[in-house]
Amino acid sequence: MTTPLVQLIGVTKTLRGQEQPRPILTGVDLTLHSGESVAILGRSGSGKSTLLSLIGLFDRADSGQYLLDGQDITRISDSKAAALRSAQFGFVFQRFFLLKHLTAAQNVAMALVNGQGWLSRRQRREKVLAALDQVGIAHLAKHRPARLSGGEQQRVAIARALVREPRIILADEPTGALDTETGNLVVDTLRAATERGCALVLVTHDPDHAARMGRVLRLRDGVLHPEAVTAPSRPPEPVGALPDRVGEATHVPRHARPAENEGVRA
Amino acid sequence: MIRLSGRLRSAVIIGLQGIRARKTRTLLSMVSLFLGVLSVTVVQAASQMAQRAALADIELIEGIDGTLRMYIDGTPEAADATIRSLEGRSDAVALTSVQAIIGEPNVRPVNEGGVPFDQEWWGGGWGWGGHVRIECDPTGYCYEVIDEDYLQTPVGAAIELKVVAMSGDIRQFRPFRPVAGEWLDFTTDPSYSPGLVLNREAAKGLERYRVPAEMRIMGGSKNPTPRILGVVEDGQSWPTAYVRLDELLNWVSFEASANGYYGGLGLEVFLAPHATETLQVLRANLAAAGIGEDRLFVDVIDSRKEVEQSLLVLRIVFFGMAGLVLLIGVAGILNVTLATVGERIEEFALRRAVGTPRTLLAGIVLAETMITGLFTAAAAIGFAALVFQVAAPLLAQLHYSLAVGPFPWEAALAGVIAGLFAGLLGGLIPAVRAARIPIASVMRA
Repeated sequence: MTTPLVQLIGVTKTLRGQEQPRPILTGVDLTLHSGESVAILGRSGSGKSTLLSLIGLFDRADSGQYLLDGQDITRISDSKAAALRSAQFGFVFQRFFLLKHLTAAQNVAMALVNGQGWLSRRQRREKVLAALDQVGIAHLAKHRPARLSGGEQQRVAIARALVREPRIILADEPTGALDTETGNLVVDTLRAATERGCALVLVTHDPDHAARMGRVLRLRDGVLHPEAVTAPSRPPEPVGALPDRVGEATHVPRHARPAENEGVRA
Repeated sequence: MIRLSGRLRSAVIIGLQGIRARKTRTLLSMVSLFLGVLSVTVVQAASQMAQRAALADIELIEGIDGTLRMYIDGTPEAADATIRSLEGRSDAVALTSVQAIIGEPNVRPVNEGGVPFDQEWWGGGWGWGGHVRIECDPTGYCYEVIDEDYLQTPVGAAIELKVVAMSGDIRQFRPFRPVAGEWLDFTTDPSYSPGLVLNREAAKGLERYRVPAEMRIMGGSKNPTPRILGVVEDGQSWPTAYVRLDELLNWVSFEASANGYYGGLGLEVFLAPHATETLQVLRANLAAAGIGEDRLFVDVIDSRKEVEQSLLVLRIVFFGMAGLVLLIGVAGILNVTLATVGERIEEFALRRAVGTPRTLLAGIVLAETMITGLFTAAAAIGFAALVFQVAAPLLAQLHYSLAVGPFPWEAALAGVIAGLFAGLLGGLIPAVRAARIPIASVMRA
């Protein structure tokens, strides 16, 4: 049996800084293998994002154990957590969090220029373009966020998450700010990453998006419960067909303008 | 080439991106910092220029730093040994000086004692005039005796000055600045008509008073007719003339001087720092002439140290004031950067989320403020250099000591250091704040 990529055992977390401390996770157990996709459903305030921030090493659990690749990282130092976030995790948020003064390529390159190793400009450019290509928007590399649609911006954010070839993608309601069709595109893009062996944890309110994941869990009373998977109202896109469709959606064939990215600064 | 670490390079790249994205804020920071950096640059430049001016002045009088200076008493044997030792050598020059009066005989000079012409001097001084002599009592106590008849002598068309005679070109040790005419030529045969190069004060006297060309030299056998060759700036305020030693010795001898007034002609020898062989020869010849080490006084000229010490207090006071202005600039950049960090909470949280360590976040903020400091320093240095370029020729016209040469590089360096320091100081608190931004609460919001 292979070692799980992520294993949470009896993890608890209490939110403080309020009038009364509020226990939000009371004993979460979660096992995640490479290439697996998991959707986490739950009401607002049920602790989905808190759980994601614990998995992504943004925060620490009050108790319990966190194993990454079999290694106990429950009490890992801040600098090691930063190094792990850089090497192992990719993050996608509901609000994209793109820096408006940077181009799409520079926003993606942000994950490479983070003090965790150094890549030459050429290497950065290659990786950035590959990541943008992976999500079907390489031709938009030089565009600033203000000139991109919501879906395009979210795909830039996904490219930023993918550029370091992470082993786990944590997506916190990535479709929350998008219309249904664009949301579907984004979920398809994320799911495509799992085909390359990347694990995916998707926090969502949308049962349709959740249904496209390999496993669905519901966070209730601070504990994860398995949820029966219902068939999605839209069948998942075949992964191989995705990029062309994305290209069509933006009316620009993926490889139509290779020269445009010659001067991309990343 | 030193390879910068990945983090430093990342900090610089991201810092530059931040500066480009917020040009107005960067400009505001620069404006607040400009006066501070400029004041440090100007104070350093002024201090360097003051030092240069003081050094230039003191070098004219004392000599260039590192020069060996030896005093030898004026016995004929010592003089003879010294002159023989230095013959044909260019790395050492012997000097002696006598008082002289140029003008009508049998009159008192207009500046008795060789005092400056526009200076009130004890209500009128006494020159040597051939009427002052030293008398010593049997105990060895010596005193001046004034000829009473001399006091009845009228003041006439004559000026008194100090005549400095040299065995070679003294300008390698005391860099006199030419004003007019020529300097002495030591390559020709000595003339019976001594060639004189005057300093400004002596030239002023000769310009103001029309006097006959007859020179009475203290202890001299006859009165020669001098030739005026040129004028130099020598930093002295007393009227002085420079002459070749061999030309002077045609009219006055060390033997005669030794038996005459004031105990004879003392010698001063300037030696280049590398003139060790000349020094050895000189010491050996002096020893052979009976002048032991105990009668030689040698020192090394160190004018820079003297000047630096005298300028130290002024420098501290002015740097203190400049530092205060710089601190005000630091407060400005601190204010602007704190506001910027407050607006960039999401950016910093995001950077932490993608693996940027806290130290790099702090480094990004510091890189931005320090680069801003550097830009400000460049602007301030450029401005100061421009003003200097315009003002320097005007200052030089006012007085020779204000001709201060090129813009001092030390001032540029001080500006750069001030800019970097201000950037560091102004960015410190914002950097700590940026490094402490929590990811979870920001990214969830």
